[in-house]
Amino acid sequence: MLYGAGVDVGSTQTKAVLVDGSRAIVARALIDTGANVTRAAENGFVAVCKLAGIDRTQVKYVVGTGYGRYKVTFGDAQITEISCHARGAHFLFPMTRTVIDIGGQDTKAIRVGPNGEVMDFSMNDKCAAGTGRFLSAAAEVLDMTLDAIGPLSLGAKDPVKLSSVCTVFVESDIMSYLAQDRTPPDILAGVHRSIATRTMSLVRRVGLEAEYTMTGGVARNVGMVQSLQETLGAPLNVSGDSQFMGALGAALFAIERAEVASRGVKEKVELGEWKDGA
Amino acid sequence: MAEYKGSVHEHSKKIMTDWYGQLAQACHTGAPSAYIMITGNCVEILRAFDIVPIFPEVNALQLAIRKQSLPFILKSEEMGYSSDNCAYVKCDAGFTAEGGIGPDAKIPTPNLIVCNFVGCNVYIKWFEHCAEYLKAPLFMIDVPFLREDELRKDDLTYVVAQLKELIAVCEKVTGKKFDIDKLREVCDHSRRAEDGWARAKDLCKSSPAPFDAYFDSINMMGPINVLRGSKEAADFFDAAVVEFEEAVAAGRGPLPEEKVRIVVEGPPPYPYYRAFRDLFAAWGAVAVQSTYSTVGGIWEWGYRHDSKKPLESIAEHMIVHNICNRPLLKRYDQIKRYVEEWKADALVIHSIKSCRLFSAGQGDMRDYFTNTLHVPTLMVESDLEDPRYYAHAQMKNRIDAFFESLEHRRLVARS
Amino acid sequence: METTPVLERCRAILAGGAADAVARWKGPAIGCFPVYTPFELYHAAGVLPVGLFGAEGRVELAHADARFQSFVCSIAKSTLELAFQKKLGGLGGLVFHSICDVARNLASVYKRNFPELFIEYIHLPQNPNSAAGPAYMQSELRRVLGRVEQWVERKASDDDLRRSICLYNRARALMRELYALRSASPEKVSAVEAYQLVRAGTYLAPEAHSEILVDALAEIRARQGKRMDRIRVIIEGAFCEQPPLGLIEMLERAGCYVVDDDWVAGWRWFTSDVKETGDPYAALAEAYLNASRPSSTRHDWRRPRHEELVERVRAHKAQAVVFTPAKFCEPALFDYVLFRRTLDREKIPHLLIEFEEKMWTFERTRTEVETFAESLLFD
Repeated sequence: MLYGAGVDVGSTQTKAVLVDGSRAIVARALIDTGANVTRAAENGFVAVCKLAGIDRTQVKYVVGTGYGRYKVTFGDAQITEISCHARGAHFLFPMTRTVIDIGGQDTKAIRVGPNGEVMDFSMNDKCAAGTGRFLSAAAEVLDMTLDAIGPLSLGAKDPVKLSSVCTVFVESDIMSYLAQDRTPPDILAGVHRSIATRTMSLVRRVGLEAEYTMTGGVARNVGMVQSLQETLGAPLNVSGDSQFMGALGAALFAIERAEVASRGVKEKVELGEWKDGA
Repeated sequence: MAEYKGSVHEHSKKIMTDWYGQLAQACHTGAPSAYIMITGNCVEILRAFDIVPIFPEVNALQLAIRKQSLPFILKSEEMGYSSDNCAYVKCDAGFTAEGGIGPDAKIPTPNLIVCNFVGCNVYIKWFEHCAEYLKAPLFMIDVPFLREDELRKDDLTYVVAQLKELIAVCEKVTGKKFDIDKLREVCDHSRRAEDGWARAKDLCKSSPAPFDAYFDSINMMGPINVLRGSKEAADFFDAAVVEFEEAVAAGRGPLPEEKVRIVVEGPPPYPYYRAFRDLFAAWGAVAVQSTYSTVGGIWEWGYRHDSKKPLESIAEHMIVHNICNRPLLKRYDQIKRYVEEWKADALVIHSIKSCRLFSAGQGDMRDYFTNTLHVPTLMVESDLEDPRYYAHAQMKNRIDAFFESLEHRRLVARS
Repeated sequence: METTPVLERCRAILAGGAADAVARWKGPAIGCFPVYTPFELYHAAGVLPVGLFGAEGRVELAHADARFQSFVCSIAKSTLELAFQKKLGGLGGLVFHSICDVARNLASVYKRNFPELFIEYIHLPQNPNSAAGPAYMQSELRRVLGRVEQWVERKASDDDLRRSICLYNRARALMRELYALRSASPEKVSAVEAYQLVRAGTYLAPEAHSEILVDALAEIRARQGKRMDRIRVIIEGAFCEQPPLGLIEMLERAGCYVVDDDWVAGWRWFTSDVKETGDPYAALAEAYLNASRPSSTRHDWRRPRHEELVERVRAHKAQAVVFTPAKFCEPALFDYVLFRRTLDREKIPHLLIEFEEKMWTFERTRTEVETFAESLLFD
């Protein structure tokens, strides 16, 4: 049985997915990245192999992705998470033409072709406003967990308006509203809406084309999914594996390469192998 | 990593070193000197009076490349400049405040500050500030923005009149009478350099291109911008063209293999110039054209300084034939022609925080090229002068994702 | 301050915005940013100049954010957004000029995306020292009027232009009176009221504006007003994107009497009447070159703006200068450096507070201003 693995090394969490020849997801692992990125990549890979009950030598091809992809030292190729998210989303929802990934520290909009290839992308990777950080900051001010804010926001009656420019100011803006006796659901709905608006700017840059698939950790927040759907005016595909999308895409690239390699002939230069050197 | 490294590179370094030497000498001898801006300028008039031209933009650029810009930027912020002000100006203001200009420095206090206002409002502020700090007389040349398709006679008349007023000021400053024949000679040198530069850029239509029309252009922008009007610059380009023609004949380019041909829009991140270049070289991407290399003048399509009508041709250059005095939409046309005529595969937009003239609205440019013309377009962001705005990991990520997607699309198209 | 019938009229006009302005005018209308553009020209051709102030927080930037970066001022982006959302309120065109580099690029983005609109760019002179300036300016005025005439298919005679000049002169003179009155007796007219009286003019024909101003001035002069313990300040820096009304209210409540400002400067551009006889183009050119108020958008080194500011502080007996630039406003932020330097030299206290369109709470800023005012009052 052939196996391919994808290891997605993010700045806070590392995800690993193992896929077999039938393209079934055999196992998924999630650990904190911590300070030693190389070790995190290694540990993630080891964990997913253990969960799958296989020896690491049975994994014929490993693709590293995420910001720490060059620390996946045992990897056979490095592919950006943009390409991997597109691939993963397209695999789970074949009619995907736009991927929206709201991560902890960046947000991406990716337009995808019929074969899952990236046609265009736009990123917010410089500013925390409009990313998961904005949500974390809001949750902290309201003294709630990240898991709680989504469901709570759904009960809003009159969402507040937030200046969506700065994560540092969201704290004082929220405190201002609390002082005015605005309710936490209203405030949270305002926060989600603020992110949704910023996300829409990114999506517009790559062009609106259905179907829309949301990936990344923030997709587990029902309030965010709702807010984004409202702002988008269209339904969003959301998978239970949204957090693992990058690793899944990487694993899918990996299993393809594993199959090519097993045929013995290197037919052509593959994605991620084209450029010389890291 | 790879770059074009022929005698052109060495020669341009020498020319720039000589110019800096001239400046340093003027500090001691008190030879007349003047501040002037790079874009759409009338440096020919200064040269006709043997006034040494000083380009604060070039000084700022050099400081950034040598990774010396940040302390001056920080100093300027203490003086009250904002994080939203152009970092070129900030670096210069900090540099001036720290004694970089004057008889004991390497750059003399100018006798005159000539502000060629060609579409960049920041130019006006910058030179107002310089005039205030250095207590030097400020001469403004108001160049009407190119707001219709053709050159307007009234605009030309206005600029020529101001050039004559500048000439009167130069006569006072130098104590010399204006010599029209000298100006004609200077214009001839300009024309010869422009011929050479246009020919060099034309050679990049070959595959592989003999030099990188963005990264290697920076070396040649010294002679064409800083030294235009001098015999040295004209000779430089004659020699450069010979070398590039040889490279084309030999099928030699700056990289081992030219895999992707790109057009680049926007100035480079000078503090990370080498690292930025390497990110593209890793993918075999070579720039075959760039818009930034036309800030001094757009010579690709035949316009030249003309010794038979020196003032008119100088004025027309200032109004029509430089990138800054032209509307953003005309830049789209320019890039479109570049993509078509130089057969480029993609457009890379380097959007910089400092420069709104270049950058404000580049999102619309991106939309036009991606969605209307279907030219694959990458937009990356940092700054040309302030090192704090460059995030290497994010930059690499975007560039890698873009070339991955280009490559993936090629693979899909082939199968 | 309680409201008055005149102020209610103003507020209604402001609430109706561009859409109501165009409906009242029943003719073509052109959008003009708050910095000067030759209103007299458009008016002479039967086109109403209407103030463009962006969306003032009323719309979400769904499209404009994709075209302009985050470090660009709100007015540029929200004005673009209004066009994308078809909320320009009946304006048939816009006039741009080189207020700043963003404004110039905005003209191009507008042109490409909205070919149905009349877009014109006017290049106002930046070299008042040149002997060739007047001829240039006149030629530019003629060129722009020619384009407007083509657009509306109607010619404007020299008489039409002189008449428009008279009408705008009158409104400007009344506004100068209002400002003089406020400076002399700030307890009689609040900054908010003065602002709304001026702003109303951006949605009115000049005669209608003059009527309101006449009524307002009569009513204001008759007031008593009790002088409060506040510092006299000059406001500088918001000549294009306008501060939210809440900010102006906050400034007053926090302890300031605004004795001069550069709000809606374009409608109060000339320091004296434009000549109403003779060649109207020459009159406008002469006024622009020699009777324009100082502005961060205009270069005139005969009297540098930072020195003029000091003169104005003394003339109005102001105690301080409060800079209120819009966030990301490049020309204002550049000028601030020399202003600050000069005010420090003259030992004139000053404060800098930035604002943006999407500001709904002013608590942070209020504390700053209160502290500043207190420090000057309890000297």
